[in-house]
Amino acid sequence: MSSTPTTTAAPPAGPSKAALAEQRTVDRERRARRRAAAQRYGIRIASLVVVLLLWWLVTAAGWIKPLYLPSPGAVWDAFVRANSIHPVSEGSSRLVAGEQGYYLWQHLLASLQRMAIGVGCAILLAPLLGFLMATIKPIGLIVEPYLNFLRALPPLGYIGILIVWFGIGDLSKVWLLFLAAFPPITMATINGVRSVRADRINAVKSLGGNFLDVWRYVILPSTAPDILNGIRIAIGFAWTTVVAAELNAGNPGIGYLAYISGTELQTPLTIACIIVIGIAAILLDLLVKGIENLVVPWRGKA
Amino acid sequence: MSAAAAETSQHDRRVVIEDVTHQYATKGQRVTALEDINLTIEPGEFVCLAGPSGCGKTTLLQLIAGFLRPSDGRITLGGQEVRGPSAERGVVFQQPNLYPWMTVRKNVELGPKLRRVAKAEREAQAKTYLDMVGLGDFLDRRPYELSGGMQQRAQIARVLTNDPDIILMDEPFGALDALTRERLQAELLTIWRNTGKTIFFITHSVEEAIFLGSRVLVMSARPGHVVYDKPVDFLSTMDADMPVGQMRSLPAFVRMRDEVSNEIHASGG
Ligand SMILES: Nc1ncnc2c1ncn2[C@@H]1O[C@H](COP(=O)(O)OP(=O)(O)OP(=O)(O)O)[C@@H](O)[C@H]1O
Ligand SMILES: [Mg+2]
Repeated sequence: MSSTPTTTAAPPAGPSKAALAEQRTVDRERRARRRAAAQRYGIRIASLVVVLLLWWLVTAAGWIKPLYLPSPGAVWDAFVRANSIHPVSEGSSRLVAGEQGYYLWQHLLASLQRMAIGVGCAILLAPLLGFLMATIKPIGLIVEPYLNFLRALPPLGYIGILIVWFGIGDLSKVWLLFLAAFPPITMATINGVRSVRADRINAVKSLGGNFLDVWRYVILPSTAPDILNGIRIAIGFAWTTVVAAELNAGNPGIGYLAYISGTELQTPLTIACIIVIGIAAILLDLLVKGIENLVVPWRGKA
Repeated sequence: MSAAAAETSQHDRRVVIEDVTHQYATKGQRVTALEDINLTIEPGEFVCLAGPSGCGKTTLLQLIAGFLRPSDGRITLGGQEVRGPSAERGVVFQQPNLYPWMTVRKNVELGPKLRRVAKAEREAQAKTYLDMVGLGDFLDRRPYELSGGMQQRAQIARVLTNDPDIILMDEPFGALDALTRERLQAELLTIWRNTGKTIFFITHSVEEAIFLGSRVLVMSARPGHVVYDKPVDFLSTMDADMPVGQMRSLPAFVRMRDEVSNEIHASGG
């Protein structure tokens, strides 16, 4: 080799050009992801319009009897009627508010309230049990089979015994929702704690962290995404349960209204209820997702 | 000055590994990962440990870190037996290991925060070390928004901010591309020279070991023994900032590299 002086680059102080360029790439990728999301929503809205159009076409052409499938217009009218004061029947002068003594939104609210209490208690207590089961071996060993047993049961299978214990009123329904929501959240918590990487715990310990620091800075934030995911599953499951549980003495309740209007052959109202139940489920899910994005923005990224 | 006085000196923060044996119990049978390891790491040393895969390098590091307890023998730091992880022994993990629920700054501040250092003070410390590793502009990013090399730098800053007696590094640059690796090696050397920290560094690369280390160790495979232990003395007379590329062609470097490589091959790598 010749002895030409080699120009050697000193290690860069401050962010190098390459590092800054890399940062720009990361930002660009984020923008691209957002664009893709907007596109997904566009497609979904378009498909919804098509479905509504087909529905309208099928009913307007008279291919299906309105008793089996009422037109979108009739469903909308039933929805509006159920939310307003209206004559008890065509041409009658007696006025009633909503349906079955309550406005539709009150039926919905009643169901949501049952959810809030039953699932709310599960959200508070299930992670605690999960943490205990995952950290204290004997507790996990003893409780897990029962939890699995409870999880395997369809909640409506044991509503009967709950009614015997807590009466036909709201209390038995709230218990039902609590028991439906409890296992998925507990299991998610246990899985979360068990999958915390040992390196993560070791890192905080070798920075000087004690037992409480390990929980505060590592285990709780590590398991937060799992717990939230469990809560999401629990809410979805509890919502399908509440609607069915309201078949017995569920007035007011959106599930009750959907059921009773069907038995009274008010098909447009039944369909309006079904749509409301579905949309409420989607909105609840979006709500939890939104909370996830706020509370655990790192989810799935590390 | 007597040797005994030196032993008990407050400043003597040497790591002493005495007759350490470590066995793993797996499915009824025992794997002896380390056997009769005797080793002293002096304050300010940059010890590089090389050896064939599976010879017990990580095990030794985890024993020093206190993540594992030895089956036999004992490890002391400044005369105190190592009984678990502690802030005096900082660890840079092989995989980026920052907490994604904290910003880069919060990650780096965590050590002082655990020691209840005042907010302003620990923020200043974190900033100093993040600047030192070239991440001064990425304080409020989340770790997953950084590249692998940047995350490793942040890990190093996190450990430096905590001011440990010894920094334990397990192949910290193993997952990086050659270019980034060389840049981080140069940065680490600069940091070592400026801070005088004791560093225990595991690597697969013989060249990395000689380039970085002030002392090179080689371990043999199962059960692990230290079979080679020599200071890297030819560098002290050289230009401190000599880049790797140039050093590779030094006769003394080539000689040592061949020696170490032979040891590794002879020991079963
Ligand atoms: N948790 C464990 N349980 C059982 N055996 C283990 C465990 N960890 C390591 N070993 C065994 O101990 C030996 C040493 O492992 P160690 O991870 O320390 O090797 P290493 O030198 O770090 O290897 P590498 O260079 O591939 O990282 C290996 O034979 C390995 O199979
Ligand atoms: Mg290893």
